[in-house]
Amino acid sequence: MTEANVSVTRGETVSVPEGWQPHIVALVCNWCSYAGADMAGTTRLEYPANVRMVRFPCTGRMSPLMILRAFEQGADGVLVSGCHPGDCHYVQGNLVARRRFTIFRSLMDFIGIDLKRLHFAWVSAAEGHKWAKVVTDVTASVQEAGPLPRFDRPEGWDGIDLPEMAGSGPQELDSDQLDAIRTHLRKAASEMLTGGRVGVVIGYGAGTLPDQTAPIFITDAAGCEKLEWGHGCRNNLSTYVGSALEQHERVAVVAKTCDLGAISGLIREGQLRREHVSVIGVQCPGVRDGSELAAKCLACSGDPHPICDFVVTVDGVHESCQDLSTAVLDTPDARDKQIAHLESLPHDQRWKYWQRQFSRCLRCYACRAACPLCYCSSCIAEKHRPQWVSTAIDSPGNSTWNIIRAIHLAGRCTGCDECARVCPADIRLDLINRKLSLEVERQYGKIGLNPEEKSALVDFRMEDSEEFIL
Amino acid sequence: MDSSWKLTEAQLREWLQSLLDANSVIAPVEEDGVLLFRRIASEDQAVVEPSGKTRWSPKEFLFPRSEALYRYNFRGGTVQLEDPPMPEEHQVLFGVRSCDASGLVRLDEIFLSGTRDRLYAARRENTTVVSTACAAAEPECFCTAVGYSPVGEEGSDVQLVPLDGGWMLRPLTDKGRELVGDATDGWSAATAKDGKRIAEIERTVAAQIERSPVNREWSRVLEEGFEHGAWDRLAQHCLGCSVCAYVCPSCSCFDMNHQANAWCGEQCRSWDACTFPLFTHHASGHNPRKTKQERYRQRVLHKFAFREGDDEPFRCVGCGRCVALCPAGLDIVNTVAAAVEAIREEGADAAR
Repeated sequence: MTEANVSVTRGETVSVPEGWQPHIVALVCNWCSYAGADMAGTTRLEYPANVRMVRFPCTGRMSPLMILRAFEQGADGVLVSGCHPGDCHYVQGNLVARRRFTIFRSLMDFIGIDLKRLHFAWVSAAEGHKWAKVVTDVTASVQEAGPLPRFDRPEGWDGIDLPEMAGSGPQELDSDQLDAIRTHLRKAASEMLTGGRVGVVIGYGAGTLPDQTAPIFITDAAGCEKLEWGHGCRNNLSTYVGSALEQHERVAVVAKTCDLGAISGLIREGQLRREHVSVIGVQCPGVRDGSELAAKCLACSGDPHPICDFVVTVDGVHESCQDLSTAVLDTPDARDKQIAHLESLPHDQRWKYWQRQFSRCLRCYACRAACPLCYCSSCIAEKHRPQWVSTAIDSPGNSTWNIIRAIHLAGRCTGCDECARVCPADIRLDLINRKLSLEVERQYGKIGLNPEEKSALVDFRMEDSEEFIL
Repeated sequence: MDSSWKLTEAQLREWLQSLLDANSVIAPVEEDGVLLFRRIASEDQAVVEPSGKTRWSPKEFLFPRSEALYRYNFRGGTVQLEDPPMPEEHQVLFGVRSCDASGLVRLDEIFLSGTRDRLYAARRENTTVVSTACAAAEPECFCTAVGYSPVGEEGSDVQLVPLDGGWMLRPLTDKGRELVGDATDGWSAATAKDGKRIAEIERTVAAQIERSPVNREWSRVLEEGFEHGAWDRLAQHCLGCSVCAYVCPSCSCFDMNHQANAWCGEQCRSWDACTFPLFTHHASGHNPRKTKQERYRQRVLHKFAFREGDDEPFRCVGCGRCVALCPAGLDIVNTVAAAVEAIREEGADAAR
């Protein structure tokens, strides 16, 4: 790559010059594909010279970040190649990678990267001929796709109107019913505190703007009178459980239907112990986004799930003791129409749609801060040896940040939509998350509520689909 | 007394269009349902009378989110340094709210006092601000509680005042008069009755803002109670993002970083915020503001305390964006009031 490639991504217009040749970066595993390429050389096979190779110990070591970095730096196409399943030097690295690339590929397609630019192959050390063929085919494919579109806000572009989202939402609750729930909730919370069951109750207190609440941490029974319930209870309070556990042995958290998956996820990923948290699930009338019901609520029942220790409804407080292993997240679907619409559009339209959204990103990292499952103490966006995600608040770093945030949550995101809610730039992170959930579900089955299960992208099966791999 | 003019909406739009001949014009634009300041290509893109305020202030047109301070490359075995081009284009910020215009003045105090920031200064020099007085307060607005006004003239070169069925245009500075120039042909002069509309708006909007005022003496109380235990409680639910700082018209903190590859690179200045742990993280590993509570306190105090005199304005201009957009529902005015109350009641040294 040259200096010219770098300046291209910085905003100069890309024209397709006469005799343009694509730049392709190949990320290859040391043990198979690198040796395979070597074999191709010693066998004196000819193949196009467009590919520059970067050697890795294993495809399992390759993060989507590395593919994104190649695109950022001006590559028009990327080829990832490793050992055939069963041949991994590290036994299973390529099997985990296969799932990761399956999902990453669908995300890149969704945000408008033509899949003619992104290829995966299994090439063994003995397959010099296959390497030559793969490189020839990939070069032809990237040639056809043309130069990579600019990472930039499209000027003078009208935008896309997405179809309206529709749905009835959970059962509506009138003010008497909400009052009843509030009374039961306050009673349940104060009993937990006085009984010494928990040291703190994390709930919703009054906010300052109309229809707004703010998280509160209650440590004495009298404080429970401050607990609120209604359309303004937007936050997913499970975000706070970890820090509350630093000060209290046991914590109770008030949760809506959509918050419960995150608690389950935190337990599954070893961030919480089930016995340290008491979950108070509350019958939810849906939350408002502006004056309307939030998108996530449109197809939601509002009923608390069996992971709760207590369930508060209009009728009172109930113990919850159903079997978790059968429970499945109530995944909302009001957005699926919008996703299908975006997917029906050509890649360049999708690219423009997302580039415009990402160009608004301020990198305030509110999406990360609000996400219960973004719990890393040091985020990839803050690592600077090397700096994988540019800290400059513009393209293409903004794209990389938004893509990598999503991919780190693939198979883990439980659709609480906190990231999209808190985004000051209204980037439709919910569409990206939902798209990834759909893809994970299609490939590897639904994301369950069972904390014993592994999440899809840290797991694998020998028979996982790989029809896209050359 | 400066002459002021009364314009119809059509005349105002015509003037806006004419500004595009010699200026880069930045105005509120709706993009994917979000109201933002954007460079416009024609007057019809601008939302002249928006129903709310823009999602964030226009500060990024003076203090960009990210900009190169210098570039370098390794050619012929040596390092070559290169200055980025100085911003020379004249720009008009159109439809800026009074609070945001004041916010720009607060930025000037940072970037133009002492060592002048040359890139900021060049942009500021080339910028004319056309502000719009607010006809109504949004639920989050609290400018009057912190000493600002919905019809404030600070930071404005030209002020637009909404009238029934039209606008009053008031050039306020030489820059403003120059911008208006001879466009006044065909405009009618504003009457004394139109002039009274300003005071009327001020009264109406002030009445809509129900917040109790932040007292100027509180700055000292806040400083004295720096170590007060209340801060732990008040910012317990802060999530540690930087929405508040990035949407704020007067927040001015930045970070320096290299954007580089093996051949060339640049020293880049990007927005940063005191709410991030990395903001104060030392190379040694020590962090003087270890907790999110300490970091949030810094932000609050930087707005309402650490002032040189009682006549110095608060650095919070009362736009209310941080209140409306805080993911955790933190409210800076309530926090200040609660902190002051706790410090007064329990004494400045009450334990953490």
